[in-house]
Order: sequence, then structure tokens, then C-alpha cells
Amino acid sequence: MEPLLRLQDIQKSFGATRALKGVSLAVRPGEIHALIGENGAGKSTLMKVLSGAIRADGGRIELRGRPCAIPSPAAGRRLGIAMIYQELTLAPHLTVEENLTLGIERRRLGVVRSQRGKIRDVLALLQHPGLPLDAPVRTLGMGLQQLIEIGRALMSNASIIIMDEPTSSLSAADTKALFTTMARLKEAGIAIIYISHFLEEVMRVSDTYTVLRDGETVASGTISDTTMAAIIEAMVGRKLTEMFPAMAHDMGGPVFEARNVHGLHLPHGVDLTLRAGEILGIAGLVGAGRTETVRALFGLDRARAGSLCVAHGRPCPVRRQRPRKALRQGLDLLSEDRKDEGLATAMTITENTTLAVLPRFAQARGWGPLRLARERRAVWRWVDELNIKCAGVDRPVDSLSGGNQQKVALARVLENDGAVILLDEPTRGVDVGSKVDIYRLIGRLAREGKAVVFISSYLPELMGVCDTIAVMHRGKLSQPRPACEWTEQEIMRVAVSGE
Amino acid sequence: MIRGRIAFVCVVALLVGAMGHAAAKPYRIAVIPKGTTHEFWKSIHAGAAKAAKEFDVEIIWQGPQKEDDRELQIQVVQSFVSRRVDAIVLAPLDEVALVRPVREAVRRGIKVVVIDSGLKAKGFSSFVATDNYQGGRMGAKRLGEVMGGQGKALLLRYSEGSASTMKREQGFLDEMAENYPGIELVSTNRYAGATRESAFKEAQNLLTKFSSLDGVFCPNESSAAGMLRALQTAGKAGKVKYVGFDSSETLLNGLKAGEMDGLVVQNPFLMGYLGVKTAVEVLQGKKVKRRIDTGVVLVTRENMATPEMVELLTPDLDKWLKQ
Amino acid sequence: MNPSLRKALAASGPFVGLVFVYILFAGLTAWQGGDSRDAFLSLYNSKTILTQAVIVTIGALGITLVIIAGGIDLSVGSQIALATVVIAWCLREYGGDTAGIGLSLGAAALGILACGVCGLLNGVMSALFRIVPFIITLGTMQIARGVAKWIAEEQTIVTPESMLFNVMVVEPQPDVATSVAPGIWVAAGLIVVVVLTLRYTVFGRYVFAIGSNEATARLCGINVTLQRIWIYTLCGLLTGVAGVMQFANLTVGDPTAAVGMELDIIAAVVIGGGSLSGGEGSALGSVVGALIMAVLRNGCTMVGVPNFVQDIVIGVIIISAVAVDRLKHRATVAG
Repeated sequence: MEPLLRLQDIQKSFGATRALKGVSLAVRPGEIHALIGENGAGKSTLMKVLSGAIRADGGRIELRGRPCAIPSPAAGRRLGIAMIYQELTLAPHLTVEENLTLGIERRRLGVVRSQRGKIRDVLALLQHPGLPLDAPVRTLGMGLQQLIEIGRALMSNASIIIMDEPTSSLSAADTKALFTTMARLKEAGIAIIYISHFLEEVMRVSDTYTVLRDGETVASGTISDTTMAAIIEAMVGRKLTEMFPAMAHDMGGPVFEARNVHGLHLPHGVDLTLRAGEILGIAGLVGAGRTETVRALFGLDRARAGSLCVAHGRPCPVRRQRPRKALRQGLDLLSEDRKDEGLATAMTITENTTLAVLPRFAQARGWGPLRLARERRAVWRWVDELNIKCAGVDRPVDSLSGGNQQKVALARVLENDGAVILLDEPTRGVDVGSKVDIYRLIGRLAREGKAVVFISSYLPELMGVCDTIAVMHRGKLSQPRPACEWTEQEIMRVAVSGE
Repeated sequence: MIRGRIAFVCVVALLVGAMGHAAAKPYRIAVIPKGTTHEFWKSIHAGAAKAAKEFDVEIIWQGPQKEDDRELQIQVVQSFVSRRVDAIVLAPLDEVALVRPVREAVRRGIKVVVIDSGLKAKGFSSFVATDNYQGGRMGAKRLGEVMGGQGKALLLRYSEGSASTMKREQGFLDEMAENYPGIELVSTNRYAGATRESAFKEAQNLLTKFSSLDGVFCPNESSAAGMLRALQTAGKAGKVKYVGFDSSETLLNGLKAGEMDGLVVQNPFLMGYLGVKTAVEVLQGKKVKRRIDTGVVLVTRENMATPEMVELLTPDLDKWLKQ
Repeated sequence: MNPSLRKALAASGPFVGLVFVYILFAGLTAWQGGDSRDAFLSLYNSKTILTQAVIVTIGALGITLVIIAGGIDLSVGSQIALATVVIAWCLREYGGDTAGIGLSLGAAALGILACGVCGLLNGVMSALFRIVPFIITLGTMQIARGVAKWIAEEQTIVTPESMLFNVMVVEPQPDVATSVAPGIWVAAGLIVVVVLTLRYTVFGRYVFAIGSNEATARLCGINVTLQRIWIYTLCGLLTGVAGVMQFANLTVGDPTAAVGMELDIIAAVVIGGGSLSGGEGSALGSVVGALIMAVLRNGCTMVGVPNFVQDIVIGVIIISAVAVDRLKHRATVAG
């Protein structure tokens, strides 16, 4: 079949940086095409070129066999190219109907005309004919909101929909629903360019793929003809003999106990015991209460009941837990939300790394002046040790790539040097190379005798890294079992059904 | 960079354009009003300009940036002290707060003439002003007469700490107490604030509160104009007897329409003229009087068309200001 | 560009603006000729400018803390008025014909304390009711103004002679070159303290962290509520010192003083590189911002331009300061 969209040798430079050195890509109607690459490989630049946000320096764009230019986002929309971003762009206070017609309102004598007929067709295609058109969008769940975003693309007659990490903020059920929707769109002859870090998702839903590395197309073809290992190899440009480096470590006695933890909403009565040197993986669907559990243990969210005890210290009611207290007890938390909570991205690497233990770097028990030189030395140590790529420790964190930002957040956790480390989705939005660095680091922490809780929605990494795995379902945590006794199917079964 | 250059050019052009031409003259006299937007101060400016022309001196007209901001007026005085003008003609916003900057000016050899409002200081050369107390009494007398010596009346004060209006208010109250015991003063403790807008709001509230009212007195232009507007919006204009102080187009129209029963009018043009004239005489080493009265007159609907009133009420300001 | 060099340039931006404004007026007065040139450049005039900048400078130090921490305080103007009234009331009630040094200092302390209480209330209420500080301080702005008028019985309070009257005299010892207003020394001392606090203490770092990302601060075990109450209280205390200076200038307690001064002060902070969305700002920048406005006011009077020109010029400077800042940011992100 004739490609709907064909890119040939697209090039783009920002000053001396060549973001795209020659990207080629072809998508046919009714095809889901995966765009794969590490952070910084040029995916987002390519998308901006396609949506008309920036103009390419060189190369050729063909739409339905004819060369065309996309000088502006409006032109992109006219040509039938729609973007679905990671962060939704809906107006939360407007209704479903208003959001669907935003920017394409039909007017007669200045009064908005109803387009209900078209809206009905679009919602039927999306298999949600009964969606309440008058409900404000903010009252709907994330999955439905994303559906409306897709609906908006369909309202403007898009023939190519580009989706940027659409599943990163969705629960497993919503993700499944999204894939069904994508299949329907495919049947309707719409081409989808799908960008995601979750490789097994990509393998499952896509028909064809293109791998970018350093602004170039390095591999492309049909998904059924390749393997995940081959794709990863293409992405990182070297053989990943070991995705999950095995690091031998021994387990000691218990260093952490939590009993009957109840949160305001979630969880409902969680018991947790950790031994020194143990890596406990917690699997479960988004919304099962994994994040809520560790946040309650760390004192970030209010709890209703329960007690906890760190490293043979005095037992403490979870209700009275506060972050400051937790840090002193030797409990550390890596937040799942790096951008909005984990890091103050406008502040420097140094300031972020030492923020939790800052009084340690000041004279007179935290009241006197800061010892800035000592602080910088401590931070440089982590930069070397964690392989953080930066132009200097006084650079703001938002000048770093996602993987390196995560390493700064980890450096802060390590700087506190607690006995128990809670990691909530530490590899989310992180490129493959940094992921491996983080797996190594977790193994090393266990070898040093620390207990690690590793929350992840990506089962292969849990299976590869953890000693024991427990599954969360509707606020309850299953008994942990050695990782080798689980299979992915079994974890999913417990996550969905609770048994 | 280009944007920066354009901004630079604009700023310079603005400043240069606003400066006009400044030629060197024998004496430089700063005239500092309380504000610059009231018509009263424009008349003073015109009078000062007339004196400047007559005695061949340069006057620099500069008020505080915000009308009733004592701090900013202090800064203006300080800046003129820095600039070493020969004399300052000042209408102090506050009878105490301006004492120290005036003292600093006098210490640095600058002659000071105070106009319009009093200043609790020694060392300045002369005080050129209306007899405000007498003006207040004049207003009370007129209001008492038109009210027939009985009924309910109220006084809307101007602003906290302004000496000239406080004297008018006192004169009003004294005259009322002595000669019109039949008139009940229902409110005498509310302040109009510095602007017409604040006066309007306050007056509206007062009119709502005292629904059966027979007479009103306001001690200056902005409070009177605010009150007039409030009377109009409440549908009481012309029904309530109303005497104001100072003149402006708004107030004269009110007088013409029968919505006001009298205006006690000062002679700001003469005040500005005499202020500068006195300053010149001090600089020339002549002896001047400590207190110079510029007089008040009562304007009513009947006498407002007479030639001497017309000359007083609508002096040809542009003749002096447009040069 | 070298990051530290860029940082230095960004920090010196407002300073370049100050030099530019000064040179501009020096040029204009020189072009106008006569003695107004010598007057603008004279030592006495420099002292005048510095003295006139003292109140806004001290106020700006306090607001700088609040703005860096992502807050705002609209009540400082009213607080300054309250301070002048409290001080004047104290001197009038307890002083005879003249107020002694002890009484004067006591009254000043009481004025500062009154503003400290206002700041404390701002902090506690915005923490307690979880209402944005804009609304809370909009309320306390009215309350403080009302209390000031209440204490003063809607009059200005005239006080006996006090040593405080001399704090803001431009040249306490006439024609002595080194003699400047004591208020300038107070301001200088406070500048040093605030600069060092922001740069070299745990508290200072926390102020930046809370403004930059409150959730992160919480995650790092910082008691955000408590720190915020502290920040507002400190802002109140500094505002109180500004109130003492205002009193020294007016020599009366004036419940209508400093109306709208909070906007001048916030403008100084913004010109000096403070960001109203928090996390950015510097004490020195704010001081330079206050100086720029003082030079402008003084210069405009020297040159003899009408008030509306000053208003326009100050507005242009505020917008261009922020615009330049944004352009700089964009350049950083792209490069």
C-alpha cells in the first residue's frame, strides 16, 4: 500500500547542535507505527517538525505521495496531523462537548452551532456513545480524558495521530482500553505514530517501527520480524548482554517492620517486613495503593492507623510520622513524580542533592553558616559515583536529561544514608542506559546491607532485580514470595483479582 | 539589542520633550503644591506663572507624585534643596511632617514661603493663605440662612491632618454652635479622603444613613464635588441645602442648576501670585509681612454672573500656563 | 557561555540598569546646563538619593524573602503606616515635652513588634486556612490600615521631639562629607544580614527551596508551614524597621502614610530579578531596584519633568526589567 506519510532525510540543527541528522520514516493508513529511541535521540524534535511547531532545515515530507510543507501547527492540523501529548491539553472546567469542539466551533451569526451529529459519530467510533456531553471534563477519569483528547483529533478529521507516551499516566485498565481504541482507529484507516518507553507495550500494539539514535534512523521494519533484544541493541548502539546485572548479596535480620497501615483512602491494613540486604518489589495496578503506602510510611500523606519501626528503633504510630522524622529514622523515599515533587528543577544539582540533610553542612548544628566547599565536594562524589552527566554541580537540574535528573534525586536519597530505601517507580521516563545504572545501584545498596522497596509497573525489571515480590490489590498487599517463584502471568492475575 | 536601543531613544525623547526649554534666569523659585490634578492648583500655578513673568524669575512647578502622600512631598522638597534653588513656595500637605525638610532648606540658605496651609515651624519667611477659619464661618452662616435656622445638617470633613480644611471645619462648627442652635449636626466625624472618588463613596454612605437631611457642608473642592455627585445619584440634589468650598466647573454648574446654595471661594490665583511675589521680595531683601491674607468671598447663584465674580471664578489660566 | 559568567551577568543586570539611569540623568542635567548639573552630581544629592531610598530598600528586603518563597505580601504599606502610628502614640502618651533615648528606642521597638505581629498573622492565617497569601495579605492590608486609623483616631499623631527625628536627616552634621543619615547605616547593616542569611544559612536555602518547589521541600523533611510563618514574621519585622524610618521622615504618626508603597516595594524586588512565581530573587538586586526608583524620582525633579513622565518611565522600567529577564531565561533553555 502507498504510504500515507513519508519522511526522507529530515535534518534540524539548533545552533551547533544537530538534533536531527537524517531521519526517514514511512507510515501507511491503518497502521500503528512505533517511534523508539532513548531520551535525546531526537523523537521530540521530530514530532515538533511533524506538528509544525518548528521547521526542518532539510529533507522531504510527503503526504499521500505529494511533497508538502508544515510551516505552522495550524497548517499541521489542516493537513490532518494531530498530536496527543503526555500532558493532556483539555480545559478542565469546560464540558465534554465544549472540549471536543474547542477551536473548531461552527458559528452562525456569532452563536455557536451544535455539532452533536458529528460528536455522536466520533464517540461511536471510540465506543463510548453514552459519554455525558454536559459533564465537566475534570470530573472524568484519566482514561476518559485521554479518550476525549483523541476525540478532539477525530473531530478535526485527523488522518494521522501522533501519541507521545500516552500510557505513562494511565492505569492498566485504562491502558488496555486505550489499546482497544487504537485498534478501532486502525480499522477506520487512521495511521498512528506511537511513542513509548514501555517496550513490551510497543511490541504488543505496533505493526511497524523506526528506531532513532543520535538524530538518525538506525533501524526500521515490521515488529513481527524482530525481537525486543534487537530493538534495545539498536537503541543503545551496543550489545546489552545483561539488562539486569546480577549482583550477589546476602540477607540479614529484619530492619523494618510496619503493621496494619491504614491510609485515609488507601491502603487498607498493610503489613511489611524487610530484612537487611533485601530488595522487595511491589507490583500492582496504578491506583492499587502502592504509592499511598510508601507515602504514608514516609509521613507525606496522613494515615489513619498502623505502626512502624525502623532499624530496631522505637515503634512509632504511622499517624505521627513526618518526613523529617522518617529521614532521621533512616527511611528514605524517592518520589514517583520527579518533576512536580521529586526535584526543585530550577535549583542547582548541589542544592537538590543536599536539601534533605542540609543542617549537616552548616556549623553550629545547622544554625551557623553553611560549609559550601564541603557541600560541593560531597555532591561531586555522587556525580562521579552515579555517573551523572552534567556541566557542573551549579547547573540547574532542568538542564539535565530525564535519566540524569533521576540520578540527582537518587543522590539525595543516598546522601541521607538511611537503612531502608523506598523507591517509587525509579525508572519511569528514564532512558535505557540510565535504567541499567539504576539497577546496578539498587544491587549495590542491597550488598551494603540496606533494605530496598522497589515499586514498578514494569514487570520484567521487578523479576530481574528483586529478591522478593509482593503484589498490591485494592489497598491490600499479598505475602511476599521469592522472585523466582512468580511468573508475569501470576503477578498480573493477583494484581487484577487479588488472589 | 535593537529593542533596547529603541527603548532608550523613547525614554530620552520623553524626558527631553517634557523638559521644555530652560534658560538661565536670576532667581529660581520652586513652587510645590499639594497635588497637581485639582483645578485649584492649576489656578495657583497660573498665578505663580504671572508673578514669574512680572518679576522675571524662573519658577519650577513640581508636586508630589501621589496627591496626599506626605512622604513624596518631603522627597520633592529634599530634591529642591539638593538642587539649590533660591527659594521654595510650599503648600504643605501636613503641618508637622513638612517641618523638618523646611528646616533643612532654611539651614542651607533657601528662603521658604508657605502658602495655602499652615506649617508648625519657625524660620520660614511668610505665610500667604486664605483665612480658612473665617471661610468656614462664612459657609456656616450661608447654610444657616438658607436652612432657616433649623433642621438636620451634616459636615463631611476632607482628610486627616490637613490644616487648612481643619480650620474651615472648625469655623463652620463654631458658627453653627454660636448662631444657629436650631440646627442639629447629625454627623461631623466622617472624612471624604483625598479624591473625588473616595468622597463620592463616603457621601453616598452618609446619605443612605441619614435619609432625612436638610443641609450639607463640605470644606474643599474634591469633597464638595463628590458630595454633589452623590446628591445627584440619590435624587436629592436641589432638595437638600448644600454649601461647598472652593470652585470648579462641576461645582459652578451645580450652583447654576440650583443644586448648590453657595460656594465659599478662595482666590488661588492671587495666592500663587502673592506666594511668588513674596518670595522674590524676600530674596531682594525687602521686609515682608509674616501673614498675608488672600481673602474669601461667597458665591451664590445670584451674584455669580457679576464681572468681578467671573474674573475670580474663571481666570484665563491658559494665558499664563501656555507660554 | 561559561555558567558562572552568565550567572554573574544575570545578577549584575539590575546594577547595569542603575548605572544607566544615573548616567542618563547626569547627561540630561549636564545638557540642561547651569547649576542643575553640579547639583545632581553633588555629594549632597547622592546622600539625598540614598536617604530617600532607605524606606523602600528595607521594605524590599523583607518582601524579597517572601517573594523568593513563592508568596506575596500586600500589607507592607499599611504595616508601615501602623508602625508610624504606634511609635507616635507611644511617644505622645509617655513622653513629656521631649522623649528620651530610652523611650524613643522603646517606641521604635514597639512599632517594629506591631509589624512583626502583622507578619506572624499573615503567616499563621495562610497556613491555617490554606488561603493564598494574596488574599490573606489583601485582608491584613485593610485591617492594619484600619487599626492604624483607629489608634490615631483618624488624625495624624503629633509627637514630642525625639531622637528618632534625626535618623533620616540627609546631613546630620552640616557640610561634613562623611556625615550621612543614620538610617542609611541601619539599611546597610540589614542588607548585609539578609544577603548573608540567604546565601549562607540553612534557612536561606529553605526559603529558595520552598519557593522553587514546595512539594520537594516537604519531601526533604522541611517543615514548610513553620518556615513560612517565620518568613512572614521576618518580613513583618523588616517592614517595621522601614516604618521606623518612615516615622523619622514624617515626624508624625500618619495612618494614611505609605498608601500604595507595597507596589513600589514589589516593583523594586521585580526590577531586581525577583520572580513572582517564586524560587528566584536576590536581596542585592532588590536594593538596586529600590535605588533605581530613587534615582529616577530625584532625577526627574532635578531635570524638572512633570510627574506623569516619572510614572511612565517607572512603568517602562518594570516591564523591560522583567522582559529582559524572560529573554535571558529563554536563551538559557535553548542553549
